[in-house]
Amino acid sequence: MEKADFGQLCRDNATADNHGLSANVLPITRRYLVDNNKEKLPVIWLETSDSGDNNIAFMNTTFPYLNQVFSDMIDLIYSNTFMAAQGNDALMLMDDTINRYHGRFTLVVEGAIPTKDGGIYNIIARTKNGPITALEAVRRLGAAAQYVVAIGTCASFGGASSAEPNITGSAGVGQVLKREVINVSGCPVNPDWFVGTLAHLLMYGKPELDDLNRPKLFYEFTIHRHCQRRSYFDKKDLAKKLGDIECMFSQGCSGPRTSSDCPYRQWINHVSWPVKVNTPCIGCTNRDFPDGSAPFFTPLPQKSKSEGTGHSEQIKPKKGEDT
Amino acid sequence: MSPQKILFSPVTRLSGLLSVELEIEHRLVTEANVSCTMFRGFEYIMRNHHVTDAVYLTQRICGICSSVHGAVASYLLDQLYDNDIEENAQYLRNIMMGADFLQNHIRHFYFFGLPDFVVMPNQPPFLSQNCYDCRFDEKDNRRLASHYLEAIKAGEKSHQILALFGGKAPHQHSFVHGGVAVAPTADKINQALALVRDIQDFVKRYLMPDTELIAKCYSDYFHIGETPGRFLSFGLFRFGSKNNQMLWQSGVLENGRLSDAHLGLIQEDISRAWFKRAAWLKSDEISPAPHKLEAYTWTKSVQYRGKHYEGGPLARMLINGFYEGGTSTMDRIVARSLETLLISELMEEWLHELQPGEPPIHQKKDLVHNQATAVTDAMRGPLLHSALVQDEKVEKYDIITPTVWNFSPKDEQNHRGPAESALVGTDIPSPELRNVILGRIIRSFDPCISCATH
Repeated sequence: MEKADFGQLCRDNATADNHGLSANVLPITRRYLVDNNKEKLPVIWLETSDSGDNNIAFMNTTFPYLNQVFSDMIDLIYSNTFMAAQGNDALMLMDDTINRYHGRFTLVVEGAIPTKDGGIYNIIARTKNGPITALEAVRRLGAAAQYVVAIGTCASFGGASSAEPNITGSAGVGQVLKREVINVSGCPVNPDWFVGTLAHLLMYGKPELDDLNRPKLFYEFTIHRHCQRRSYFDKKDLAKKLGDIECMFSQGCSGPRTSSDCPYRQWINHVSWPVKVNTPCIGCTNRDFPDGSAPFFTPLPQKSKSEGTGHSEQIKPKKGEDT
Repeated sequence: MSPQKILFSPVTRLSGLLSVELEIEHRLVTEANVSCTMFRGFEYIMRNHHVTDAVYLTQRICGICSSVHGAVASYLLDQLYDNDIEENAQYLRNIMMGADFLQNHIRHFYFFGLPDFVVMPNQPPFLSQNCYDCRFDEKDNRRLASHYLEAIKAGEKSHQILALFGGKAPHQHSFVHGGVAVAPTADKINQALALVRDIQDFVKRYLMPDTELIAKCYSDYFHIGETPGRFLSFGLFRFGSKNNQMLWQSGVLENGRLSDAHLGLIQEDISRAWFKRAAWLKSDEISPAPHKLEAYTWTKSVQYRGKHYEGGPLARMLINGFYEGGTSTMDRIVARSLETLLISELMEEWLHELQPGEPPIHQKKDLVHNQATAVTDAMRGPLLHSALVQDEKVEKYDIITPTVWNFSPKDEQNHRGPAESALVGTDIPSPELRNVILGRIIRSFDPCISCATH
């Protein structure tokens, strides 16, 4: 299967009945592995400053389910959440992976990186030789990894962990590493976006990225563009309160300036998404989330700290297309 | 022989980042400092936000228990705006919270707890498992290990119920102040019923028998990791138009004596936490002090009437008379599984009570108070949000989470919190068993460090 076909498959599955990265992807991954005799992606997953919501989101992946991701796609060697090893045994696995898979492993970072006071606000482990800060760990691992994937908005852009007044000086992974970081933003990430990115890395290498370094497959278009309630917006038929079936723009919806495929893809086995339950999108994939989306229930023009419309794709719609 | 100083770091298979400093003398743990090593500063982040941002923003404190932060923030806003909550909204709210409890407990037991007792396949993510004290015969072991896979689906189905009504998970959207924004339609109710029955089936076929098997095989853990037996619950599952009725009662249990919980008796202490009081600011204003020498954690010490109290499923089951037992590691594990069964049954009941209809939400527009405190129990124990508001903006927001109670550092007088108490006195027969035994004790509290430090 060619790269373009894979992209098309992902898009098709976003709109099909049992959509998402459905069972279709798995046989292809398996066949690819057999055909190319490729190893699974060795992965070190570093948890830093976030709520752990992205590893919970990852647990919610369906087709492939978590066990299928473990058996067919990745070797999750280090993960504070999942690994059986603990204490020093865990740290030795991390060291071992850096040596054995130098330049070949994928580093997944979940969380922002505190930079103030030498990064002391996040210690991933303490050793006889002193604490290992997230800042130190991400720099060391980032230098040795083949790919660095930032999962969630905290890791991608700082997110809630770097919200004002940001007393820990937290920043996204891309801001502390001098190398390319693939951002898979969202608060939390939709498991399809993350597992789909891993699948792309495994089968075709790096996916095409937008100007915020996010896979275009999932972030190319705005929520607003694909929203089921777009017709209400166009008729200026706006909801009067939460719980109404009309457009949520009046209730603070950030959809017009937020890139993701939530309206098609939806969440947790693709059953729903925020606008479908009569509430606004709060722009959780955005670079300026949460500050730029606040106050959450105030209409977009009155949100005080929004950084324009997010990214250039939205500022300058392609010719002949609306946003 | 002077005590041996040991670092247990990182303590994996829990939410967030935890290290434990220990002193061990003649095989006995003589001191333990539980050290939560991440800090974000949510109480500062909340300031100046419109107060209605609290429901969505405070959910970002925690990934595994997000919905309860949204719930308690909604209760708080219901007070501030004096909302009246429809009965249908309460059923929906409790169904969503219940779903998140099921998700949490199932994942805790299998993803976090199981590798403490069962030999997992020697492949990622289970490499370098310490199997010195894995006791099951091959047949039982294989069966238990295979249930990890079943738990993957049961956990996902639990969150599917939350997303079905709440839009997504973690960080649901529809459970807000004034009620619930989603319409409980017949198809959704039916879909959720089917999911609940699947989860119930999982709990009855796997979780309960597996709990029994582990409790039997590791029965010595009914005497390991015991705490002083002081329990606190803020109650769980609110009903009534003013959120004033509680299905599972709140209370304080000490030496078998139950009394009412009074929020005024709660106090926080920062003696051993990386915070300092700023003399030049308001007297109760504290700020981070990451270099404070006598401190060892980002978690404050919290006490009720001057003493540390333990929260969680064991506290709730004891206080409500659903369980009789001790205060040990295995009691905490068994009580959590029992609670999972009870909630899965309640969920079915509530789904039958829920009436199809319009979204049950009525948000009042004007604040009638500028200060409120709201509580509920969360998965791991008592959860409190408190806000002071000026012109609809947050002036001060206080959060005390369950893991603050359970993983409290020492207070000024060096009294230990529940987790430290449980660790001290533990017999470590040989060095290779150390992390195994301590890991089991620590995980039985189901710690969430993201919450504890927030």
